[in-house]
Parts: sequence; C-alpha cells; structure tokens
Amino acid sequence: MFYTIIEQVVNGIVSGSVYAIVAVGMTMIFGVLRAINFAHGEYYMLGTFGAWFAIDYFDLPYPVAVVIGVVATAVIAVVVGNFVMQRIVGAPAEAGVLATLGVALILQNTVILLFGGSYKFFSGGYIEPVSVFGFTLAEQRILIIIVGLVTFVGLELMVTYSRMGKAMRAVSQNIECCAVVGIDVRHIALWTFIVGACLAALSGVLTAPVNVSVYGGMGELITFKTLPIIIMGGLGNVRGTFVAAMILGIAESLVATYVGLQFRDTVGFATLMLVLMWRPHGLFSAQARF
Amino acid sequence: MTPAELTATTTGRDLRVPFGIALIALACIAPLFLGNYPLHAIIIALIFLLPAHGLNLLLGYTGLLSLAQAAFFGIGAYTSALLAVHFGTPFYVNFLAAGLMAGAIALPLGIPALRLRATSFVMCTLGFVIIGQAIAKNWISLTRGDMGLAAIPKPWFALGPASFTVSGTVSFYYLVLAIAAIATLVAYLIVRSPAGRNMIAIRENETLAESVGIPTWYYKLVVFMISAAFAGLGGSLYAHYLTVVSPLTFQMYYSTTMLIIVLGGGAGTISGVIFGSLLFVGLTEALRVAPELRMIAYGFFLLGLVFWFPSGFAPLIARFWSFLERRK
Repeated sequence: MFYTIIEQVVNGIVSGSVYAIVAVGMTMIFGVLRAINFAHGEYYMLGTFGAWFAIDYFDLPYPVAVVIGVVATAVIAVVVGNFVMQRIVGAPAEAGVLATLGVALILQNTVILLFGGSYKFFSGGYIEPVSVFGFTLAEQRILIIIVGLVTFVGLELMVTYSRMGKAMRAVSQNIECCAVVGIDVRHIALWTFIVGACLAALSGVLTAPVNVSVYGGMGELITFKTLPIIIMGGLGNVRGTFVAAMILGIAESLVATYVGLQFRDTVGFATLMLVLMWRPHGLFSAQARF
Repeated sequence: MTPAELTATTTGRDLRVPFGIALIALACIAPLFLGNYPLHAIIIALIFLLPAHGLNLLLGYTGLLSLAQAAFFGIGAYTSALLAVHFGTPFYVNFLAAGLMAGAIALPLGIPALRLRATSFVMCTLGFVIIGQAIAKNWISLTRGDMGLAAIPKPWFALGPASFTVSGTVSFYYLVLAIAAIATLVAYLIVRSPAGRNMIAIRENETLAESVGIPTWYYKLVVFMISAAFAGLGGSLYAHYLTVVSPLTFQMYYSTTMLIIVLGGGAGTISGVIFGSLLFVGLTEALRVAPELRMIAYGFFLLGLVFWFPSGFAPLIARFWSFLERRK
C-alpha cells in the first residue's frame, strides 16, 4: 500500500519533469511576448517526430535522434518565430490566441499529411529497468528526472546571469523601457521563442521511449496540460512553474491510480480552478502581473 | 475602428436599411434556388450565430475574452436532448430550458471566474470546456458517456390538440432563420440600450466606468450569463438539427470557431457577426476537399486574419458603404 503510493509519487515526479521542461519554455515565451502559445505542444510533437523519423528511416542511434529532433524543431521555430511570433509583440491578447491556434493547426496537420494520422511505434531510448533505493524504474525515467533538473538549474543560471537572460527579464517587465535603453525586443522575443520551442522538443524526445506511441495529434494534449501549469506557477515565473509542474504530475499519477484513469487529463484544469479561487494570481505571485 | 466611427462613416444617405431588407428577402426565398447542401451549410451558420452573438456581447462589447462558449453550447445541447429523449417535451420547452440551464450554470461559474485577470480568465473558461467534456464522458448513467444520446426527435410544436413537426431541411431552415432573426434583434436591442452603452464603457476603461457609478462587476456577471444563455439556445438547435449529441459537443474547436466568427466578422458590431458566421461556413465548406489540407488552410486563414485584418472584416464593409455613397 505504502509502497504503491511512493511508486506513484515517483512516477508523478517523472511526468512532472516532462511537464516542467515544456511549461518552462511556454512561461518564458509568455513573459516576453505576452501571448499564450496555444501551439506549444506542437513543438513537443515535432521533436518527437524528428527523432522518430531519424530512427525509423535512417536507423540512427537514440542520442543522435535526440539531437536531430531538437535541431529540426529549432529550424521550424526560426521560421515560425520570424513570420508569426515576432509580430505578436504588443498585439492584443485575442491576436496572440488566434495566431498561435493557426500555427498549431498548420503544424499538426502538415505532420499528419506527411506521415499519416496513425499511431507509430517509437523504438529507441533506454527502457531497461534498474533498481534505485528498492524501486524499479526504467533508465529513461531516471534520465528524464536528471534532464529536468539540469534544464531547470541551467535556465535559472541563464536568466539570472547571462546577458540574454537579463534582457529577457527586462523585456518581461517593461517593453517600452527596453526599447528606450536599446534592447532589441524583437530579437529577444525570437530567441526566447526558439529556446522555448527547443525545450518542448527535448521533452518530447525524452518522453517518446516511455510513451512508445507517436502520433500527429499528440501535441494538443500537452498544450492543454501545460496551460494550467503556467497559470498556477504565475505567468513568467520559472521557479513557480517548476513547482506547479511537479504538483500536477504527482496529482495526476495519484488520481489515475486511486480515482480512475479517465479523470487523469482533467486534473490539470480542475486543480487550476481550485487554485485560482484561493489565489487568483497563481500559487507564487503576490500580485497580478498580467 | 470603433462602432461609433463605423456609424459615423455611414451617415448621410443610409444604404444599410434597403440593403438589410434585401438581405432578409433573399434569406426568405433562399430555399427556392439553393440545393439541400448549401441550405444545410446556412443552417449550421445560423445555429452558430447564436453563441457568436453571445460571445460578441461578452468580447466585442464588454471586452472579456472567453473560451467557455463551447461549454454552454454543450450544456444546452445535452439539456435539450435529455428533455426530448426522456420526457418527450415539445421543442419550445426544450429550447427555452436549454437557454435557462446554460444561463443558470453560468452564474456559479462566472462568480469565481470573473474575479480573475485577463489570461487567467481565458484559461479558466477553457477549463469549463475541458471539465464539461469530462463530465459528459463519465456521467454515464445520465449522458451515456461516449456513446452519446441518439434519436433526438426533430423539433415539434404542440398547441392544444394540434401538433406540428419540423422535419425537412427547408422547414428547419425557416425555423432557424426565425430564431436567428429574433436573437439578432435581441442582441441589437441590448447593445442599443443604456446597458449596452455601459458595457462599451467597461470595455474601453473599466476603472473609469466604475468611477462614474457603473456597477461593473454586476454588469460583467449578467453579460456572462446572457452570453451563456445564447450559447445554450444554439446548442439546443444543434442537438435537434443533428439529432445526436456526444461529449464531442464540448470541444475547444467550437469555442475557437465562435471566436473566429466574432473576431473575423468584427467584434463589437452586430452585422459583422452575421457576416462572420456566413463567411466561416463558406470557408469551411469551400475547404472540404481534404480534411488535413482544410485545417492547414484554416490555420493560414487565421494568421492572415490576425496580421492583415486585425479588426476583422467589418471595417472593410464600412469602406464598401462609403465607396457606394461616394459614387452616387
């Protein structure tokens, strides 16, 4: 009984890490662009498809496939960033919603058109089980937790110390003032978007061996799971997002075991509404920023 | 361009009244020269016009971006379907009950949601759709889950001993046309009333509106409920027209559709929303060649809309009017 709970919590931390990597990118994009990126899950899907393509068509090893998946997504993100995301800066909220929904439709259906809408088998990664502290876990899951932590620490360091990170924080606080002191807002917006999309792709490639199946519509579910996380974490707040992702991952895993699997995908929004009733600005923000 | 400017550009010889009458006349005789398929498309457009009018009151006039319309649309559809299947009540009872139910459910949902700021409010309303779908899927004893409710009777009216069933496409077209016309009139009356002006004041500057004594909180809640009622009525028509409802009635796609109708037509104008719903249906029907290509084209259409027509097509129509007037 107790063992099951701990096991589910560990599973929850694994999926929490996956959500955290996706959500951190999305919340950074929100901070800079002030737009909810409804297409964010699609970059997760693109990364997975890039890796699947490399493994299935060219028999490349998994680490190479990871790189290919992320690089392919980065290339697409450069195009989308230049043509769409940069133009959203300063536009009203509705424009951001419609434009990113449009991007989501285009990316998702192009992939379905090219590769077909059926489920595909992802045959890569390290799925051998290992035993850690008496728990049996697939190696891939441990890798996910490690990458999640490394990403989080790396991002914190980048946002706090690097020039680009400081510029990102500045833009998320006041766009006009940044323009006045000579920060190229469109440049920062583009780079934030590319980093966010690559993180989503990385998360997708890492999860693929655990989820096994790959399909064109998989991004939508991830978008819907990430949205409540970034709101709960306080929009634009990297640390809060990480905690919210862990809470959601663990809650989902417990609900799936003790309440019912069919309720798993509703946990996010149900938790979000409860949290918002209690703290209207998210868990970690003292006052509303957006 | 604000609605006020739009009216300003069309003063002088007002062509809108004769054009409007011509449009109504055309709508009345449409079944004479349109086949069943175009008529079906127009019926869908007119059904979606109701939730779109509701969303327009909320987004276009009060300035609240909501994705909850699909949730209330689904609540209306299920209310109507359950009444019709279990109790065999006549159409007008189901129809009104759907609107009342959606409006009533909007009250407890709106009270916490409307306290939130812009982005959180959008997400919260999206949550209503996701949770609505989960309820429809899992409350199997009531909704039959994924199987949905089938064999919903076509609308029938009973007045004393006489009863009448709306069965064919043409008669359903007239029913929907009449309801859509009434809904448009109601939306127009709301917008033109002092309350409508207060709504615009809230959209333009909420703090200022509050400072001149408009009870903004109360207004936002009531408009949220009215928009939900509009969506519920639309859902009822949808259920009776398709004769099936399933948990897929609650989907984000419908919310997006309604958003596109309102923003594409021109938020904050009544005629823009009518234009938007016809345009949207024309677009989806024209793109029916291949489903994936259709969605890709739809995506590009959205991007074009956002970047080239940020205030929808309404300013375009206004420019068309002034063009006509200059020619005279």
